[in-house]
Amino acid sequence: MKRALLLPMLFALVLASGLAAAPTQITFWTNFTPPFSDYLQKMVDAYNASQSAVQAKLVQVPGSETDISKLMTAVRGGTGPDVYMLDRFTTAERAAAGVLTDLSPFIKKSEPKLADSYLPFAWAESQFQGKTFSLPFDTDTRALYYRADLLKAAGVDVSVLDPKNGPITIDQLKAIAAKYDKKDASGEYTQLGFVPQYNQGWHYTWGFAYGGKFADLKAGKVTPTDPGVVAGFQFLYDWSKNLGPQKVSTFLSTFNPPNVPPEQEMLVTGKVAMCVTGDWYIANMAQYAPNADYGVTYIPVPKKGDKPSTWAGGWSFCVPQGAKNAAAGFDFCKWMAGPVGQKMYVQLSSHLPTIKALMDDKSLFSGKHEFFRQTLAFASSRPALPVGGLYWDALTAAQNDVTDNVALPKDALAKVIDKVQPQLNKFLPLQ
Amino acid sequence: MTRTERRNLRNGLLFISPWIFGFIAFQVYPILYSLRLSFSEYSGFGVPAFTGLANFKQMFADDLFWKSAYNTLYYTALAVPIGVVVALAIAIAMNQKVREVAIYRAILYIPSILPIFALSFVWVVFLNPRYGLFNAFWHIFGLPMVDWIGNPAWTKLSIVLMAQLGAGGPALIFLAALRGIPKEILESAEIDGAGTAKKFFRITLPLITPVILYDIILGLSMGLQVFTQAYILSSGAAGTTTAGPRNSLLFYVFYLYKSAFQYTQMGYAAALSWILFLVSVLLALLIFRWSKSWVHYDIS
Repeated sequence: MKRALLLPMLFALVLASGLAAAPTQITFWTNFTPPFSDYLQKMVDAYNASQSAVQAKLVQVPGSETDISKLMTAVRGGTGPDVYMLDRFTTAERAAAGVLTDLSPFIKKSEPKLADSYLPFAWAESQFQGKTFSLPFDTDTRALYYRADLLKAAGVDVSVLDPKNGPITIDQLKAIAAKYDKKDASGEYTQLGFVPQYNQGWHYTWGFAYGGKFADLKAGKVTPTDPGVVAGFQFLYDWSKNLGPQKVSTFLSTFNPPNVPPEQEMLVTGKVAMCVTGDWYIANMAQYAPNADYGVTYIPVPKKGDKPSTWAGGWSFCVPQGAKNAAAGFDFCKWMAGPVGQKMYVQLSSHLPTIKALMDDKSLFSGKHEFFRQTLAFASSRPALPVGGLYWDALTAAQNDVTDNVALPKDALAKVIDKVQPQLNKFLPLQ
Repeated sequence: MTRTERRNLRNGLLFISPWIFGFIAFQVYPILYSLRLSFSEYSGFGVPAFTGLANFKQMFADDLFWKSAYNTLYYTALAVPIGVVVALAIAIAMNQKVREVAIYRAILYIPSILPIFALSFVWVVFLNPRYGLFNAFWHIFGLPMVDWIGNPAWTKLSIVLMAQLGAGGPALIFLAALRGIPKEILESAEIDGAGTAKKFFRITLPLITPVILYDIILGLSMGLQVFTQAYILSSGAAGTTTAGPRNSLLFYVFYLYKSAFQYTQMGYAAALSWILFLVSVLLALLIFRWSKSWVHYDIS
């Protein structure tokens, strides 16, 4: 009798120990492509090696900062992932739509003071109605890149642009750019000193440069007709008018067509001498224009003595609704968006961290990257609205009308209110 | 109905019941569901909230709705006639009695089987104002340079031209129609002294009008749903720029997609889809009405 029980008991023991040791498998979706997806893969491997309770699998899916249709349809169909990498400023929008899981209970249980380790502006972007819906990951800022070699050849004294002298003014920018502009025999531009709307010269960039505010969260209103924002758009209007809006448009179609490959981008080839872009461009320049002598400095200011400006974006980790292993997914998010994960990512990608402690780690930032780290101190961020994507598109449409000189700034921006405010009203009150 | 007839009916229904289930589950139910959504506010998650005609009111006040409708109709009005002419021209070319006609047919047909995604990338290079083939061509005739990519007045035409690469499919159908014309009629016309042009416009064309009507209806439905080229040409996946310069490539279905997935307004997107359906039916009815005056269905 005892011997008959021996085999089943042994089997039960093995089964129990196997079940106890079986790690939770979680899926992690990202729309990043190489090389960034390779960095993430390295981090996932490190996470899996660091503990045995949770094993994560990285899956690349189509999508972008504002296009998460793949995630939405999967979650709706019950086949969504446990973790998703989300553009941080869309957290409020996606939370309002009901796509994300509230992480506050998990935070309360594991690390109630988690908010304190993050930069305040990044943490604020991850909130909706007082609850946390994502964990901030990386961030990035924008600055003015200038091709010192090309400007010197055009007779410009580039020492003026050295960041040690503080930001240059818009008028100084105009004077420098004019020296580089060239037309050919047919009257079309072959090179331009500066095109404000190119690359990261967005509405937010110039609105913030002129001290504008884009939303009043307490009142639940979007404020695109704020005087600073209007002034920023006026700057764009005047710049295009000065060069000829049709000619600028043709210049951009010729040298910056859709899906232009990185080695043909205008700063790399010297079609523009200066442009506003982000810290990730350091890697671009190193790869595609390694012999170019270039510098980075503050985005120009309206008047001498004005404080410099920039704005920060970045990504975050979230747990979508209906995740089969939400707790394990949160554990993974906490690691990836935590000090260990962020340090790895900063070293691999030369982006900026959102963890306060890492900001003081001088070993992470070298050369031009150190300049971007300093700009975080005065960086603005986009308002966390449940209609963030709609607002961005409406502002872009208004910006296009202004740079093409078919609408005046005030009129174009008033249309933005008509389009966005009714949608925002559906989510009030915001707090 | 006799017992045999009833039994046959029952067996017949049983045999096609899988299709009936599929039809109801994948066609009828989604259509009715989207009708319900068009009267609701819905993000895709949770419960749709009934809001009556709010979506339709929002639509008529939405300038992007009108813009996307205008873009789509403009594109369709250009693409359908040009498409018919190009497909017919290719079919006539494929019908010539030369020895190497098989090679020519292959050359004329191959562009239509190339994937649109890859074609779009190549097309962007062709359209470059300074270095592109098109403007080089234009230049030979002394015409001014056109900014196909950045000038809102020309962008839709560039998509129409790209769509002509797909003319191979309709061309094959036209070719079949051309070959279906009895040789005797053409020969007797030639004997009576008719030249090539007269033969074409008086005999060939009237006899293939049913196929032309088919191509127009097909072109109409495809034109109203144009999406892929605009999505790619405007780097739509990035979602950060307008669809073409000043939203000139914001076609109706593209706007529908944005509303549904980028702005999470499923109810509004459903309302947009119903308006598209109604307009398509209306246009198709009008075209069928009009076709009665010029389509000849018999050879007499």
